[in-house]
Amino acid sequence: MTTVQERPPASESKPRTIARKRGRITAGGALVYFAAFFLALLWLVPFLWALSTSFKAETEASLGQPIHWLPQDWSLEGYRVLFERGDHVTWMLNSTVVSTIVTVLTLALCVLAAYGFSRLDFPGKKVVYGVIVAGIMIPPQALIIPLFDVVSDLKMVDTYWGLALPQVVAPVMIFILKRFFDAIPRDYEEAATLDGANHLRILWSVILPLSGPILAAVGIFTFIGSWNNFLWPLLVGNDPSIMTLPVGLGVVAGGYGLLYAQNMAAAVLGALPLLIVFMLFQKQIVKGVAGVGLSR
Amino acid sequence: MMNNPSPPGVLPRRTLLAGSAALAGLGLAGCGAASEAFGGKTTVKQWNLLAGSDGAVMTAMHEEFTAETGIDLQATTFAWGTPFYTKLVMGASGGNAADVATAHLSRLESLSPWTLMEPYGLDEIAEFGLKPEDFPADVWEKCFSHDELYALPLDTHALINFYNRTVCEQAGVLNPDRTLLETHGVEEYFDLLRAVKEVTGEYGTSLDTNAGWRQFWAWYRQQDGEWIFHEDGYELDDDKALAAIDVMYRMADEGLCPRIADGAQCAANFENGSGGLVQVGNWEVTRFRAFNEAQGLDFSATEMPDFFGNRRTQGDSHSFVLPRHNTWSAESRAATIQYAAWMIKHSLEWGAGGGHTPAYLPVTQSQEYQELEPNAEYSGVVDNVQFDPAVWFSGSAARLANEVSLVLAGVYGGRTTPEQALEDIKGRTQTLVELPNPID
Amino acid sequence: MTTDIKAPDQAPTAEQPPSRTTARAPKRRSWTGLWFVLPFTAVYAVFLLWPMVLGLYYSFTDKSLTGRPVSWIGLANWAEAFADEKAWDSLWNTAWFTILSTPPLVILGLVFALLAHRARKMGWFLRLSFFAPFVIPVSVVTMIWVWMYQPDGGLINHYLAEWGLGGDRLWIFQEDAMGSVVITTVWWTMGFNFLLYLAALQTIPPEVYEAADIDGANWLQKLWSITLPLLRRTTVLVIVLQMIASLRIFDQYYLMAGGGMNLSPENVFIQYMYNSGFVGFRVGYASALSYILFVFILLIAFVQLRLLSRKED
Repeated sequence: MTTVQERPPASESKPRTIARKRGRITAGGALVYFAAFFLALLWLVPFLWALSTSFKAETEASLGQPIHWLPQDWSLEGYRVLFERGDHVTWMLNSTVVSTIVTVLTLALCVLAAYGFSRLDFPGKKVVYGVIVAGIMIPPQALIIPLFDVVSDLKMVDTYWGLALPQVVAPVMIFILKRFFDAIPRDYEEAATLDGANHLRILWSVILPLSGPILAAVGIFTFIGSWNNFLWPLLVGNDPSIMTLPVGLGVVAGGYGLLYAQNMAAAVLGALPLLIVFMLFQKQIVKGVAGVGLSR
Repeated sequence: MMNNPSPPGVLPRRTLLAGSAALAGLGLAGCGAASEAFGGKTTVKQWNLLAGSDGAVMTAMHEEFTAETGIDLQATTFAWGTPFYTKLVMGASGGNAADVATAHLSRLESLSPWTLMEPYGLDEIAEFGLKPEDFPADVWEKCFSHDELYALPLDTHALINFYNRTVCEQAGVLNPDRTLLETHGVEEYFDLLRAVKEVTGEYGTSLDTNAGWRQFWAWYRQQDGEWIFHEDGYELDDDKALAAIDVMYRMADEGLCPRIADGAQCAANFENGSGGLVQVGNWEVTRFRAFNEAQGLDFSATEMPDFFGNRRTQGDSHSFVLPRHNTWSAESRAATIQYAAWMIKHSLEWGAGGGHTPAYLPVTQSQEYQELEPNAEYSGVVDNVQFDPAVWFSGSAARLANEVSLVLAGVYGGRTTPEQALEDIKGRTQTLVELPNPID
Repeated sequence: MTTDIKAPDQAPTAEQPPSRTTARAPKRRSWTGLWFVLPFTAVYAVFLLWPMVLGLYYSFTDKSLTGRPVSWIGLANWAEAFADEKAWDSLWNTAWFTILSTPPLVILGLVFALLAHRARKMGWFLRLSFFAPFVIPVSVVTMIWVWMYQPDGGLINHYLAEWGLGGDRLWIFQEDAMGSVVITTVWWTMGFNFLLYLAALQTIPPEVYEAADIDGANWLQKLWSITLPLLRRTTVLVIVLQMIASLRIFDQYYLMAGGGMNLSPENVFIQYMYNSGFVGFRVGYASALSYILFVFILLIAFVQLRLLSRKED
């Protein structure tokens, strides 16, 4: 499944002129813009509604109150309670720690292994690589039952390691990185080899500098995946002080009864970290996600 | 870590405060702040399932505990029922979880205590002033498994009957002292409900139609019904079960109670006057008190009505269990047991605020407790409370209760006849019985 | 799922591999390579291979979460699983979810990508609103949607009533919550497919449209005869990835329709597995169920691969 196609650079200049030629806004073009804008707005409704509710006082947010988008009395009460309870902040920190461990380890281990498979020959290589690539087919969710038992035997339940290590097993990343390394010409390394550089050095100073974008792609994809992982952290993070954000929000009963303003404040705060990251690095994230997604 | 317990007589009462805190939606606010203030001290991690309004009472007690002992308490409330017990078991299985957790006594066996919980030593609890004779014998007995003490009982709680005095007075179903008329038999009680329904224009009472198990077990036990489980089958008295289910069917059919109402809806019906009575757990008293303070609600509570010759009711007991630890310092363990003992000895507050009947006899026998309202009016529940059947898939929020409740929701909803429901219940129970027992 | 990698945005052209045939440095066969692959392989072995073996073993035992001693019970779990109607119902629910969710997720992803590709001046805004939900944790998504789905006073029923479209639906608050979960899922994860399509669209060189422009073809003709055929491979990929993702449905269903909060009798398969193992303690039985799921997903992947490779030929 080659996902197509020549890369843009070659044809960069030509389309511009064509585009300019048709630069005037046609009725069809206006319609496209209108439809796109309308749909985008529709897609934002859940966010906006959560945001609106979160700034209402609890009495105004509760069911049975008429629907209105702008709070009559702007209130930060929901947020205040959340910060006072403090567990939301703990969960966010836990998510950051776990996702960082997962991302760093995934990158480190997969880069090492991919380099090994791409550049080095050792006994049993084909078999090991075959077994790892076959692992791409295994849905991680189908393994949760025995995996919990393994992690429990290792005394890793309710620890950062127990949360993170099983998520590091991402054979697809090895596959992607090896493909990329395979495509890097060996000429660069040969000089270095003659200089007597060892493989770690070659990897560090020749291969990695050429691999920036693919590493970013793998890293971003891994980080988002880990940040939003739910099932595994649900199983292995039982202690609220070790829970990640998605699990904490999902299973710890918040206040008493249904306090929607507070609830939506939690939702807004829960959505915020990656939303901010996304807005700041939109370009890279879009490329990263599409890249890893397309290259599977 | 020794801390001389104060005598039971001089306990503080801050429960109304707790009630209004809950209403204001302050949640666990104070708790988080307190745990930070005492950072660096011994910490006890407690998990509970008190997502209802009694949770606020517990939070207030925790604050007092920390202030008094200097032990930092990290309490977490999980969603009631299955989510909580799943977390408890998985955490205990992992061995790095809570120091202490609440659990229903009826669930103790199903938690596989001999592999997943740590036993208390009798001398260990004696150090903090607890003695076996301080608890009702039948409750104390349920705290043991495989001859070891795995639970310390905090309370007994049960389904009781709250009534709105204003409405009931209009309906003419109050005694001169403004207590609810005592009725005998289903018909008499239905007449009472009809009178109340006349006044409210909507319902007589509300029952949690999603938790039909509780009513079923209460009314089945009022007829001396037994449910005995064997290796590959069970004995259920069809006629008595049918009689109990029939009460639900007729009550909903005649509109004396709503066809669909969960716990929150029941309470709301009671507060807004669409029902003059509500048959829910005693713990809702916190909520009704808060409502009374805010908007006025003249209410009291009495025992389960006598349908079949007595006032037996379904109930259970909250207790403290110790999940298994991979490693546990003596200091932390002592602080944990000190916590459990402190809560039990201070359970007057728990009773006053949450409507529960404390398990600790020195508390219930105290003058102060016996004067509590409305607790005094339903003090008989302790003798009338019926625990769920003893089998591994039974107990509060366990599968038997869930499956039966599922069927009975159809009876309340009018989709299922009592006969169909009984068949369905029996089929589902057979499936449960045939499951291999994963516990022993 | 072996696919030719095209690194998304490889090193600049200058650094592109000139060709694969460059003289290779002769590889020395040594153990050095093993050290490179060892760390990953170790983690892989402990957290993937070993659980697989262990799960298979447990499926023949009465292994319990309580940690009591394990005994061999032969094929009892397997026999029970194959006769377990609830297990098959839940497998059907998972399949039904996949059937319901895949078409809208793929089609909307394509439509939105086509729009965003045309409406380039709003690119940033469109990418934000279409893709942002994908980076939101699932529990936040379900919190928001549960709030919108409230039957009395929820946002959705409010507007449905206002526009005369009913407004008395129960959404997730009923026994059959599947439709509501699908809607939420479409909102949440459509962005991923949208991005894949958008990325693919951006690699179509504009020259391919030139001839059509000269012929005066309208946009529909161009879409039909140029764009869509060029996107065929992407579409296959999107469908494959989407089906695999949908077959793993658990999170949002568990959080919205069956976390034990309500009386929903319906399960999806992973949830049934979770309930058997972690709520019901029956690790042995749940392990047998895992293998059924595993084989099921493998079968579907295999069928897809077959269909796929035929297309590639």
